[in-house]
Amino acid sequence: MIWLTWRQFRTQAFVAVAGLVVVGAYLVYLGLRIRHDYTAGIVNCLPSDCSTTRRTFSERYEGPVALAGALLIGVPGLIGIFWGAPLAARELETKTDRLVWNQSVTRVRWLAVKLAVLGAAAIAVTGAYSLLLTWSASRYDQFAGDRFAAMNFAARNVTPLGYAAFAFALGTVVGLLVRRTVASMAIVAGVFAVVQIVVPAVARDHFMPPVTTNVAFAADVMEHADGFGMNPTSAHLIGYTMPGTWPMQGVSQVYNADGTPYTAAQARECMKGDPAEDMACTAEQNLHFSYTYQPGHRYWPFQWIETAAYTVLAALLAAFGLWWVRRRITLR
Amino acid sequence: MTPVIETAALSKRYGRKTALDDCTIRIPAGRIVGLVGPNGAGKSTLLGLACGLIAPSGGRIEVLGRQPAASAAQLARVGFVAQDAPVYSGLSVADHLRLGARLNPGWDAGLAQRRVERLGLDPAQKAGRLSGGQRAQLALTVAAAKRGELLILDEPVASLDPIARRAFLHDLLEFTDELGVSVVLSSHLLGDLAQVCDHLIVLAGGRVQIDGAVADLVAVHHRLRLDGPGDGALDALPAAARVVHTERTASGRTAIVRCADPVPGAERADLEDVGLAYMMATEAHR
Repeated sequence: MIWLTWRQFRTQAFVAVAGLVVVGAYLVYLGLRIRHDYTAGIVNCLPSDCSTTRRTFSERYEGPVALAGALLIGVPGLIGIFWGAPLAARELETKTDRLVWNQSVTRVRWLAVKLAVLGAAAIAVTGAYSLLLTWSASRYDQFAGDRFAAMNFAARNVTPLGYAAFAFALGTVVGLLVRRTVASMAIVAGVFAVVQIVVPAVARDHFMPPVTTNVAFAADVMEHADGFGMNPTSAHLIGYTMPGTWPMQGVSQVYNADGTPYTAAQARECMKGDPAEDMACTAEQNLHFSYTYQPGHRYWPFQWIETAAYTVLAALLAAFGLWWVRRRITLR
Repeated sequence: MTPVIETAALSKRYGRKTALDDCTIRIPAGRIVGLVGPNGAGKSTLLGLACGLIAPSGGRIEVLGRQPAASAAQLARVGFVAQDAPVYSGLSVADHLRLGARLNPGWDAGLAQRRVERLGLDPAQKAGRLSGGQRAQLALTVAAAKRGELLILDEPVASLDPIARRAFLHDLLEFTDELGVSVVLSSHLLGDLAQVCDHLIVLAGGRVQIDGAVADLVAVHHRLRLDGPGDGALDALPAAARVVHTERTASGRTAIVRCADPVPGAERADLEDVGLAYMMATEAHR
């Protein structure tokens, strides 16, 4: 059975390994360049040039790292589409199920071996890519400090392994149910894309209850925010992110020490024209705002929770597939 | 001896459509069984049930005394060639033999090798590029070299031209003898089956019309020429006789009559007459 699995899978395996070698070579090259530039431009920069070299570093590597990350998020999808969906659908479509299921191997064992071998390959390929990218982009990630961002979280460390297992099992089960290769591939692509959008958008932030804290409005607060809005009755800090954390809110109202809303009139008292002095003045007004977030130390628990959830989902799909070939499948 | 296939009130429905209804048959071992019926009669359904590709909606089926496809051991006992003889178009002839060898503990490599050589199949040829007849032969080789006790062939010759068809059936007879297996093969053409079968099952409208050894069936069926406009000849039949079907042909009307005793004025019906009469009778009742 393993021989047959390999014989039918070897073309896809060669394609995957060739792709991995090409991407891997690029990631090693990228990783070495990032390391070199990080040491030269960030760690050992001349104080006068630091802001310029930091900007150059950011601009130079933002694109390549994001692209490599997007590709890594796509790899499990491709595996689901090109390995999972045809696995059973092509057999059912070309009626070779009637040949292979009448050898002295039960259908359950046939599917179990295929799921195990190809599933392991799916996880290995995606895992190798994730390992390479995580290493390659590590200095850049450290510099950017935004590892909870949807694109970064899903394209580093262990989460891609869970996606690979899930996408492959999903593809196999859809193929079993739909019995048409091309239709199954399209459905898998759609479902996987929706899941990859819905989970970061609505599910991930509920893995653990967020923490809410009062943050003092310090002089450097605007370095971590996108903007500041005010009107006669209130003032708001927009897009504040405490370094290393994952903000659960976009806008925070700013309050005085006694709990009354900070207003535009108060803000104008500190507007003298020099940004640094203005900020120091504002900080002395003793303001605070409430900040709801997921702390940075939850990064790894979140990685494991998401990976485990996808793995459990993959296992359930696989179990359903095995039950289906045993009980439900019928010849038409 | 355990019958190769035994069913009781077996039925299969697809949604509202009944493909097979109240089928009770008993096929003894050592026979070459022809399963005949018009398209859509339920032949593939019955064979699919026998090799466990589909599960029954009602009733019971046992193949070689066990539930079909329930275990690897049971699968090893039954060789199956599905309709249109599906093979992996991307795998070579040699790959198919390797597949058989890897997936069947009782694989007879010598038999497979001999057959491929005798049939003149190129081992390196991709199965997708074989002709219909060669593909059917390859599928039959894989099913036969399993060395099961029962071979089930669904419409094995339907897509073959008359020469390939004759060659295939001749070859089938030969190695059935050599291996001592029971065979069940289906066809919508009685002529094909009449050449090789010693047991016939007629399936029509999802039901079994007749089931029996060819010699027995031929012995109790008679062809009666009906002269004149009336049914005088039919009225004169013995009390135990049953008219299966009457038909108007160019040369007049004929009736196929079932009767254990001799029928005066009748000639013996051949297998094609008998099978066809039952199929036509079912068709007429619908």
